[in-house]
Amino acid sequence: MNKRLLELFPDHLKSLLLRVPGPILERLEEIRIREGRPLEINYGGQFQFLKPCGGFTCVPDDAYKPAREDTLRLLDMISNHSLYTLEEELRKGFITIAGGHRVGLTGRTVLSGGKVEHLRDISGFNLRIAREVRGAADKLLPFLMDYKRKRVLHTLILSPPQHGKTTMLRDLARLISQGEPGSSSQSCRGLKVGIIDERSEIAGCIQGVPSFEVGPRTDILDGCPKAEGMMMMIRSMSPDVLIVDEIGRSEDAEAVYEALHAGISVIATAHGASLQDIKERQGLDMLIEKRMFERYAVLSRSSEGSLFRLHDGSHRTLQTSMAGGAVT
Amino acid sequence: MLNWIGAAIILLSGGLAGLYQAQQFATRPRQIRELIQALQRLETEISYGFTPLPQALERIGKAMKDPLSSLLKCAADGMKPGQGWSVEESFAYALDSYWKQTSMKSAEREVVRQLSIVLGTSDRQDQMKHIALAASQLKHEEAAAREDQAKYEKMSKSLGLLISALIVILIF
Repeated sequence: MNKRLLELFPDHLKSLLLRVPGPILERLEEIRIREGRPLEINYGGQFQFLKPCGGFTCVPDDAYKPAREDTLRLLDMISNHSLYTLEEELRKGFITIAGGHRVGLTGRTVLSGGKVEHLRDISGFNLRIAREVRGAADKLLPFLMDYKRKRVLHTLILSPPQHGKTTMLRDLARLISQGEPGSSSQSCRGLKVGIIDERSEIAGCIQGVPSFEVGPRTDILDGCPKAEGMMMMIRSMSPDVLIVDEIGRSEDAEAVYEALHAGISVIATAHGASLQDIKERQGLDMLIEKRMFERYAVLSRSSEGSLFRLHDGSHRTLQTSMAGGAVT
Repeated sequence: MLNWIGAAIILLSGGLAGLYQAQQFATRPRQIRELIQALQRLETEISYGFTPLPQALERIGKAMKDPLSSLLKCAADGMKPGQGWSVEESFAYALDSYWKQTSMKSAEREVVRQLSIVLGTSDRQDQMKHIALAASQLKHEEAAAREDQAKYEKMSKSLGLLISALIVILIF
């Protein structure tokens, strides 16, 4: 893990986290801070509480419990001393910080007209550490390309949360945008890629500039609602490929439908463990029935790393359980 | 001969002390006005620009004259990542370092300190209210400072010279 990330934490929390052994620090996925409750870290599917003197414990009572002073200072640091710049983020419940990491927040919501307008008395933080795995999509990409027509096939990537969808999507954007120069049948010059990054997860933009490598020909609409963003991107940036994360609502499906008919390739992801899950989701069922997607990639995790299963538009299996590179 | 030189030194230093005091009376309302203008700029940066506090302070600091310029820049530096200071701590350090160079008094310092406690910790509307409150308090101080200036500026100029003349006469 990048040590600079720890600069965000108040001194005491920082010293506790620095005492975590290096190999675990490298695999850290989440740091959870809840005021008055144990300080927790998650790594490789496990969790541990941190003791006040350093070291791990499973007993909540023995763990260090962050105080109000800790959470106030942490909020001050992650908001760059400017909570007023984060009104939209507070409404959504998370902040993206430098490096593309995301801090989820909980506290008391302030409602206006029945909708969440603001979050105050923030007392819970979940720092999700973003990792860029270059090469995560190396093995998948050739199956998603139509090299003859120099285009990308319409693809839907499926997996449960925390199985590497976003990592895969980010690397696909990088590879497609970068292209593979050469004259062989398996080469294609870089295409114009448009990313609709509603939750600032794919590119991790800070002030409009991506924190992650997403390729030289990639445009990003940061923090934009997916359905609206896809239309904006099509109208303004003439992309060859549109990349969106986590489609699920019917308006997202309609926008994907529009994009597919506009001759633009779409790579999207959705939550779900299998094709069957998706067929039963309202909104997405229309896209599946009309066979709008030409490829479905279902990601899963095993002890050896990440795997994917590939289906074509008629749901026939093309590849099963093929190692998909290290996806975390 | 030596007596004359001594008398001249006393007269000169007394006159200069008077002038310095008069200048303090003249500078204080001007600096309070500058501080109010800085707050108004901060209000714009926050409400329209969504500029993060450290950048906003640095930008405002650049457009101002010393010592307020250095004070704001110092506060902005304290908030940079790695320093680990809160807004209140950064301002406390900046006030300790630069306030003595200004002609302003403790009432104005207290207004700035109070504002630093809430700066950056709430939404825009709330920030606007706090800044407006600080600005109105400073306006009161400015009015008082102008009254002081009208009353005491000329007086201190002559008083310095007169007191030193009195000392010279008493010594002789």
